[in-house]
Amino acid sequence: MNMDTLSNYTTSTGDWREKLRQNERRTRGVIFLFILLYLIVGLLVDVFLLMGRYPQLSISQSLLLLVTFQVPPYGTLLMIGIAAVSLLITYSMYDRLMLLGTDYHEITPETAATLQEKQLYNVVEEMKVAAGLQYIPKVYVIEANYMNAFASGYSEKSAMLAITRGLIEKLDRAELQAVMAHELSHIRHHDIKLTLTVVVLSNLILMVLDMLFYSMLYKRERRDNNALFAVIMILRYVLPLLTVIFALFLSRTREFMADSGAVELMRDNEPMARALLKIQEDHVTHAEEYSREYGQTAHEQVRHEAYLFDPSGIDPTKSLSNLFSTHPDISARLKALGFNQK
Amino acid sequence: MNNFMVTVLGIVVVFIVWMVGVYNRLIGLIEAIKNNQRQIDIQLDRRFKVFQSLIETVKQYMDYEKTTLKDVVALRNQAQAAQASGDEKARIAAENGISKIASGLSVVFEQYPDLKAGQNVLQLQEEIVNTENKLTYSKQAYNDSVERYNAKKKSFFESMIVGLFQSTLNQNFVYWSLTDEQIKSNENYTVKF
Repeated sequence: MNMDTLSNYTTSTGDWREKLRQNERRTRGVIFLFILLYLIVGLLVDVFLLMGRYPQLSISQSLLLLVTFQVPPYGTLLMIGIAAVSLLITYSMYDRLMLLGTDYHEITPETAATLQEKQLYNVVEEMKVAAGLQYIPKVYVIEANYMNAFASGYSEKSAMLAITRGLIEKLDRAELQAVMAHELSHIRHHDIKLTLTVVVLSNLILMVLDMLFYSMLYKRERRDNNALFAVIMILRYVLPLLTVIFALFLSRTREFMADSGAVELMRDNEPMARALLKIQEDHVTHAEEYSREYGQTAHEQVRHEAYLFDPSGIDPTKSLSNLFSTHPDISARLKALGFNQK
Repeated sequence: MNNFMVTVLGIVVVFIVWMVGVYNRLIGLIEAIKNNQRQIDIQLDRRFKVFQSLIETVKQYMDYEKTTLKDVVALRNQAQAAQASGDEKARIAAENGISKIASGLSVVFEQYPDLKAGQNVLQLQEEIVNTENKLTYSKQAYNDSVERYNAKKKSFFESMIVGLFQSTLNQNFVYWSLTDEQIKSNENYTVKF
């Protein structure tokens, strides 16, 4: 791969307002689909329960009874309750998990050891002012050579930014600021909450579907429910794939939004583009060294989705088609920022 | 008839809930603007204090340099005068005075090897850039919040609610901007080395 610099791109201002709107719309679409899927599975549970009690009913008859509330959909209601409780527990338990396995330390104005660390904190403070945020997230430096960063949390208690030493060393002030603005935008947009919600809901969907499948399988005396069984069978193969594709689409959408959010805060699209190219190039030139380093870090998969730059792209054995990646590819991100390849 | 009443009641309830939502959202936006306006003041105040202390530091440093230099010059004059008049004792005392100052200085330099020029200037630069950026971004945040409020206030449906509560919801905030003369003079400004 030859060296890629911004001179190979035509520059435009890039409409971050439109990008934010567009991706907000997409997010709403995905969330709506997720809730729809969840309700469909809930309804399926109800149909199963109803047909268990009244074997003479057909699927469409029981659906009609449930949808018109002639029979209360207890299963769906129970599933909504379970989802609410699991989400609350997940939100409250989720804290500091993201730094698992790394060698990190916190940066504060008092503990900043070098000018670089001081600069990092300053840049975060500046972006906090630009975002009108009420609190300042904790800032962590991870002692690693690869260039990456991630954010977590959405409230004063849980908000944090982490950045590797390699990134601080190799980016200039403006680029560092763009990266921090990107991460701060993940926090502003409540992306962690969104990701957690999607993970919890899809796991619940698959769990319930499995329970349905096995209880159908072992109820040998009711062989006449073949149609329902077929529906559950098909869903059991289709839904895992569907939830993964939705979740990945959502994750890519939120990456685009964070990029646009960085431009919104800095009112300049060039530093973000420069930083992305620099990080990409650095990962390509040091591919072997970095895959080893990523590989040696424990619990790397908790951070995978949250990273600024998806490191799995550097490993040819792991790189998958765009449909199955958590991050949009760099050229798509640059295009959204207003830089088109010449 | 009963069904009709329930439907009407439902629509009224939904309308009231929506109206309360719009009202509260607009109040939130107005308060955000006021807070952001104060944020500009906070950053102006911060800039004043930071620059004041920077000037103090630099002054102290320069004062030290100045007195040192003065001392050195005075001692050198003494030494030369003593040499001219043949007063060897006075000359040696003066020369010793100079080397004492010099060794004192070099001790200071040895304590901070990467001292002065380089690192200090960079730190100063970072402090100034940081302060100026914060001020600029606070102005930007203020303008952004005015934009959000104005867009909400003037958009359709919401503007009807604003019409109902003119005194609380219809406020006029001015975007932070330069005057026409300032824009003109800043446009013509170029850096000359």
